[in-house]
Amino acid sequence: MNMLSSEWLKIRSVRSTGLLLLLSLGAILLGAAIAWMAAGMYDDATPAKRATASIAELEEVVIIVPQLCMGILGVLAITSEYATGVIRTSLTAVPRRWPVLAAKAAVVGAISLLTGSVAIFGTYFLARQVIGDRFSGTYLTPFLDRLPTLAATGLTVCVFALLGLGLGALTRSTAGAVAVLVGLAYVIPMFVGKLPSPWKDWLGSMMISALPRQISGVPFKSSVYGSSLPPAAAVAVLAAYALVPVLAGTWLLRHRDA
Amino acid sequence: MVRCAADPPYPILDDVIRLHHLTKRYGDTLAVDDLSFTVEPGHVTGFLGPNGAGKSTTMRLILGLDTPTSGEALVNGRPYTTLRRPMAQVGALLDAGAVHGGRTAYHHLLCLARTNDIGERRVAEVLDLVGLTGVARRRVGGFSLGMRQRLGIAAALLGDPRVLMFDEPVNGLDPDGVRWIRDLMRSLAAEGRTVLLSSHLMSEMALTADRIVIMGRGKLIAEATIQELTTRYPTLEDAYLALTAGSVQFGAAR
Amino acid sequence: MRAVISSEWLKLRSVASTYYALGAAGLMVVLGVVWSVYASGLADERGSVRAAAPEEGFLPLVQISLAVIGVLAITAEHATGMIRTSLTVVPRRGVLLFAKTAVVTVVTFAAATAIIMTTYAVSRLLAGERRLGFNESSFAEDVPTLLAAGLSVTVLAIVGLGLGAAVRSTAGALVSVVSLLFVLPGIANYLPAPWNTRIAAFMLPNLTPQLTGERLSRRLGDGILPPWAALLALLAYAAVALGAGLHMLSKRDA
Repeated sequence: MNMLSSEWLKIRSVRSTGLLLLLSLGAILLGAAIAWMAAGMYDDATPAKRATASIAELEEVVIIVPQLCMGILGVLAITSEYATGVIRTSLTAVPRRWPVLAAKAAVVGAISLLTGSVAIFGTYFLARQVIGDRFSGTYLTPFLDRLPTLAATGLTVCVFALLGLGLGALTRSTAGAVAVLVGLAYVIPMFVGKLPSPWKDWLGSMMISALPRQISGVPFKSSVYGSSLPPAAAVAVLAAYALVPVLAGTWLLRHRDA
Repeated sequence: MVRCAADPPYPILDDVIRLHHLTKRYGDTLAVDDLSFTVEPGHVTGFLGPNGAGKSTTMRLILGLDTPTSGEALVNGRPYTTLRRPMAQVGALLDAGAVHGGRTAYHHLLCLARTNDIGERRVAEVLDLVGLTGVARRRVGGFSLGMRQRLGIAAALLGDPRVLMFDEPVNGLDPDGVRWIRDLMRSLAAEGRTVLLSSHLMSEMALTADRIVIMGRGKLIAEATIQELTTRYPTLEDAYLALTAGSVQFGAAR
Repeated sequence: MRAVISSEWLKLRSVASTYYALGAAGLMVVLGVVWSVYASGLADERGSVRAAAPEEGFLPLVQISLAVIGVLAITAEHATGMIRTSLTVVPRRGVLLFAKTAVVTVVTFAAATAIIMTTYAVSRLLAGERRLGFNESSFAEDVPTLLAAGLSVTVLAIVGLGLGAAVRSTAGALVSVVSLLFVLPGIANYLPAPWNTRIAAFMLPNLTPQLTGERLSRRLGDGILPPWAALLALLAYAAVALGAGLHMLSKRDA
């Protein structure tokens, strides 16, 4: 319990945390602004154009912002200690070492889960309010039908944070961890999308951003990603993204000189 | 090379650090408050003061790293930032830890040397001078604090400058190293160079310095020779404690 | 200036992170080989395929890897405190940033172009006479695209350097670079038409295709900028980031 409160205090007392939270929640305003813009254009459009007009699920678009921010939060939670040398003090205080990373994971996980949920549901409700009964489809779907997708998408923010933490523990370097995180999150999906089938679908289904829709079982109509995983498998893959690096990092932390 | 300390070989305006009503404010705190004093060649000038007194800030202001709120700090009559090849005029060690741990000692020094057109031979010379030749090709990340201090001193000496500033160079050194620093400082001053040295080790300072400048809460508290202080007080430590009694900000009750 | 540039060149050469970043970027060649072999196999089965060119498909890998070099050129100095030593030996801050810019520009452009050209050549050699889609235009037709890709990598590295100088933090600068490269363009895609194309046309990764008059994507269609305007916009990114970096570096205490 002491470990938790200590890690909570650490993360609360650095300036970057506040900035990253602010940016993450800024996604809500961004989503609302796009909705407002789309609504204005819909009102000006001819009835014929209105009939075919569609709008993307904005909350699933702007979630990329809190994903990245919380990923960085996770990275910094550990690499900033390596950069300043505080890690040696932390590990001396807890010689078993694994509780340090476990406590960081708990704090970072809780903050990012909360942030992700606020961001996804906040954007959804605000955008739904702004769009009203304009556009067919997306924002007319009953909330309960959207709930599984939204919850799973919010969860990815937490996965990014834990992934960042794990990569930070593995690389011990801010630049290295961020580069790998970005590679996993953006670079690899970009060229997986260009692979010929069946690779495109098979690998595409494993990309983080493809997982929420496979968990909720509501596939995108058109997507660069695949959708070949059953919900249970998608949950397992998502959990693996979050846990494998953290566990590997914990193992290294215990067996490596600090 | 060794000249008599009492007979400075240069006119008095050369090789001088002169502070003129130097003031630095960070937000609400006055780190340096209307500070005026002169550091002259041929002596080791000890720079004393409690933690947070503003010594390091003063050194940063002299080096142009921080901009003064008002007043000025001049080296050889000019602001530091206008010097063309500063390493040939001023050498400084501020923070021995401030090196990229991934670079070797040799490369670290060569990076600095190249900026001022200093050759590789001089790099080898200073490495030898501080006793790091054997580890020159090792990464600085693996160095002890004492080795880093020696590396920092090597960097300060690279340009063979006439003005030198050292912030706590004795930290982390073994007794051998402490002795070495003392001899180095004294010989640099004996060569007619200007040496400004900050330290918290009073006994060491009493052995090394000729003159003392004491700061407290950003202000000048005293400027005197060691002799003057030790005539009035039993030891330099007693002098220091008595003079700074009113300006200790961070310390246990005493 | 020449002296400072040679120092910065040595700084870049003497840290391991530079080689990690170059190695990560060089993975493009390996991936290009795998890709070409795989596409060739498919073509042997089906007669012909329409595969994306590896030097285009894997470009983000080179962009982000080499941008890290630009970012670390300045933020590693802030992280270690080395910046204070650097500014002591080179007090004119504009000169220091300019030297870093020159070195980062040359290194990233040379590395990016070499990696891209090698990937191009190897993939065409492996493809031979097969029809893979990407190998059906002549080298002369492809050269502008290849050079534009190299230029985009360099601009991104310079943006990283400038923003690194402005925010002084590795994480902050990398987040900014990643936002410009992936996050903002990703969101711009989903703006209601025609604003998606109008705004996306100014996004960094979309300037490269417009430079050579290619289509942006299936979703966005053709770009709206003529080649000269795209080039101008690309250079503006670098100039704005560097300007911000220079302003903050000059104004702030180190």
